[in-house]
Amino acid sequence: MEATREIYWNVGHGVILPMYGFFAAAAGAMAYGFYKKLAVYRSGKALDRVSGPADRLARAVSWALAQLKVLRNPFPGLFHAGFFWGFLLLTAGTTLIMAQEDFTARLFGLRFLQGDFYRGFSFVLDIAGLAAIVALLVFFVRRFLYRPKGLDTAADDCLAHALLFFILVTGFVIEGARMAVTELHANPELARFSPVGLLVAGLLPGDPSALEGLHKTLWWTHMFAAFGFIAMIPFSKLRHLFLIPVNYFFSDTGPLGGLKTIDLADESAQTFGAEKVNELSWKDIYDSDACVSCKRCQDECPAYATGKTLSPMKVIQDLRGSAFAGPETDIIAAVTDKALWACTTCRSCQTTCPAAVEHVPKIIEMRRNLTLMKGEFAGEEGRAAVSSLEVNKNPFGLPNASRADWAAGLGVKPLSEDPSADILYFAGCYASFDRRNKAVAAKFMEICAKAGVKAGLLGKEEQCCGEPARKLGNEYLYQELAGENIKAFAKYGVKKIVTACPHCRHTLGVHYRDLGFEGNVVHYTVFIKELIDSGKLKLKAEPFEFTYHDSCYMSRYSGITEEPRAVLAAAGGSLAEMERHGDRNFCCGGGGGRALLEEKEGTKISVERVKMARATGRPVVVSNCPFCLTMLEDGIKTADCETALKARDLAEVVAERLA
Amino acid sequence: MKILVCVKQIPDMASKFKPNADGTWFNEADLAFRMNEYDEYAVEEAVKLREKDPASELVVLSVGPARVVEALKKALAMGCDRAVHVQDDNVFRKDPWQIASLIAAYAKKENFDIVFTGMQSQDRGSAQIGPLLAGMLGFSCVTTVIGFSLEGRTATVRRELEGGAKGIVKAALPAVITCQLGLNTPRYPTLPNIMKAKKKEIAAFKAEELSAEAALSAAEKFYAPVKKGTGLVLEGGDAASLAGKLIDVLKEKTTVLRG
Repeated sequence: MEATREIYWNVGHGVILPMYGFFAAAAGAMAYGFYKKLAVYRSGKALDRVSGPADRLARAVSWALAQLKVLRNPFPGLFHAGFFWGFLLLTAGTTLIMAQEDFTARLFGLRFLQGDFYRGFSFVLDIAGLAAIVALLVFFVRRFLYRPKGLDTAADDCLAHALLFFILVTGFVIEGARMAVTELHANPELARFSPVGLLVAGLLPGDPSALEGLHKTLWWTHMFAAFGFIAMIPFSKLRHLFLIPVNYFFSDTGPLGGLKTIDLADESAQTFGAEKVNELSWKDIYDSDACVSCKRCQDECPAYATGKTLSPMKVIQDLRGSAFAGPETDIIAAVTDKALWACTTCRSCQTTCPAAVEHVPKIIEMRRNLTLMKGEFAGEEGRAAVSSLEVNKNPFGLPNASRADWAAGLGVKPLSEDPSADILYFAGCYASFDRRNKAVAAKFMEICAKAGVKAGLLGKEEQCCGEPARKLGNEYLYQELAGENIKAFAKYGVKKIVTACPHCRHTLGVHYRDLGFEGNVVHYTVFIKELIDSGKLKLKAEPFEFTYHDSCYMSRYSGITEEPRAVLAAAGGSLAEMERHGDRNFCCGGGGGRALLEEKEGTKISVERVKMARATGRPVVVSNCPFCLTMLEDGIKTADCETALKARDLAEVVAERLA
Repeated sequence: MKILVCVKQIPDMASKFKPNADGTWFNEADLAFRMNEYDEYAVEEAVKLREKDPASELVVLSVGPARVVEALKKALAMGCDRAVHVQDDNVFRKDPWQIASLIAAYAKKENFDIVFTGMQSQDRGSAQIGPLLAGMLGFSCVTTVIGFSLEGRTATVRRELEGGAKGIVKAALPAVITCQLGLNTPRYPTLPNIMKAKKKEIAAFKAEELSAEAALSAAEKFYAPVKKGTGLVLEGGDAASLAGKLIDVLKEKTTVLRG
């Protein structure tokens, strides 16, 4: 017997014309749905997210096909991937049938669905369908029986579930009915290549005319269900089938954590930041429509986890609601300023989002509007910190002339006294003024001296890098501070900067580029690693047990997770990881300018993080960010566990082990 | 309505102050300057009044060296219409009478209906400019104001009196109002207003052209108070007796326990 099957068996070739008619209607409805959305996306401002299209396309296709972003969370990511691959194969299979029967066979008499190819085709599609059904069952259990906290279910979730399940099951019953009549007895050899169809065929009654009736009815209903599915894509969460892969194409190709730099010389600018839908970019609006409310961002958000108003998912959904309500809709009213000020800009949401939604820049845009257009602050303490930054160039309101007082007696000089330094150590505000972090800076100076590195300072010419101001939305103050620092760098011809703080590192190294500074900026952890690797710095390993807290601005903003671990291992450390570590680390609560603000809502993020560190059973939590060290120590005090856990800085640990 | 607001630029109060060369005032090197806090309340109140009447005009004035332009710019960004800079590099040597004379000399050029200023400066703290200016201009004067409203040509103001008592005063315009903490929350200038302020007029006058009044008083010496060792450690005994001793100390040496 030959290995193939009669296409349009039982329904006849007469169905082709009406079938294509219905398909055209469904495809038309889908196209119309997406077309209607275009106007909403277009209500946003221009933004270039298409240049370098070849790379973008390659990324979009590979991310989507490999389900790369979805698989970051193996459960339920693996089932999503299984369903995706299964359904993709089924769609490909149906397309092959169409290609043969309606085109190549008709036009050239060419039939390729036969022989070994057909056997493989049958088998693969059967397994693909089975995989899709299994995944769908898992989704059903997860969504309707054991629903995880925060997973909202809307009507279109139910409809999509029902429709997909119906399409898959009817597909197998149609196959079973056909096989029962044409294959089961006539060609059992071939039937083995359709294991699920074979199983279904065995369960159906044997009367051929009843089977043919069942087959015909289901064939039509399956077809209408499939076309209904196509038609409803843009009108339901199924829109993500198209919107997310396309969003991979549109995603930001710039450096991690980049932000749009406002052109303050542009005198035509009337508004700053975003208050209304039409003050967002089209990409922001598109992002909101690509969101499927999978809540992964919310699950990883430190503000949400500690009972604050902010949920990154809700922010995006609020933007979506506003966008479809009209271009003039007030997005800040929808999102609420309370939610906006709660963000630590830790970038967890953005890193974990399978739809490549960019949450943080949207929050900053809205903060910019609150700050630059309305003169609002997160609180009185925020107003005081900004006022101090304006006058004293540090958020503490301390005299900036005393900025380098911490280095007195350490043999490190300002560049104004001795410009011949190997590196400029940009201490930043915390290492310059905060008692605890001044001690850390002194330890780093010890390390430099030991390695024969001559460090210089800017002294009173150094100002706050501007990061907290910028993240709180005060772009004007940020650019003023940055401008003064850049002038000082130029004055001394600074080429290599080592920073105490990951926030300074990211701001000087990434954000200052938009303002014309192109120097090499590294965090001191990376610098120490370089010194060890080049043999300039030798450590004598002394065993100690610790857990490591990644700073968000090291991990998610700079991709630096290995270097600190390598340095601490070289120092003799034995690391027990917290569950949330690396680029999944849980913020200390100090980012986004929050270190300068009181945390009045919910519980303290730092205490939550300290609990996680305590769970490792290690007596020390090592970090390498002044905000983190401050917040962790605060968390340890608040949690009243000062005897069980100490917060230490990487530089302190290293300085104790200089060989 | 023509409104004048007088502001002073003062060093940040967290600064480390050192005497200058002749020991009569502080050395300005390494100091960060800002607008006098009480003058910020004055600017805010003046801007609020200005906003109620589009036909009115609000002028901000400051006496001092080139650096005071920053304070003028801030006031312009907060909503003043134009600025007057009375240039005087040695304003710190002038006494309140001379400074008030400078302001009065300028104010007489224009017909101001009302003048706002801080109740005192945070650095010198003489609290005399407002009353002296009112005297020189022949205006009515209300000081330490924590509430302000205007009906026609009559201002109704709340004043803060000794011991927390409040008083309500009605004053006929023209008047000088000196502003105290609690009057308002000064606005943070928005970016569009900062941009607009860059184009606003800052007229400059030389101090010597406005007034040559002689000083009535002169600063003799500027020095830091002598440090006294006031620390006290209570030792010995149990917690209850230590607490008792502490209460005694608080009663005898401080006012915190006096109702």
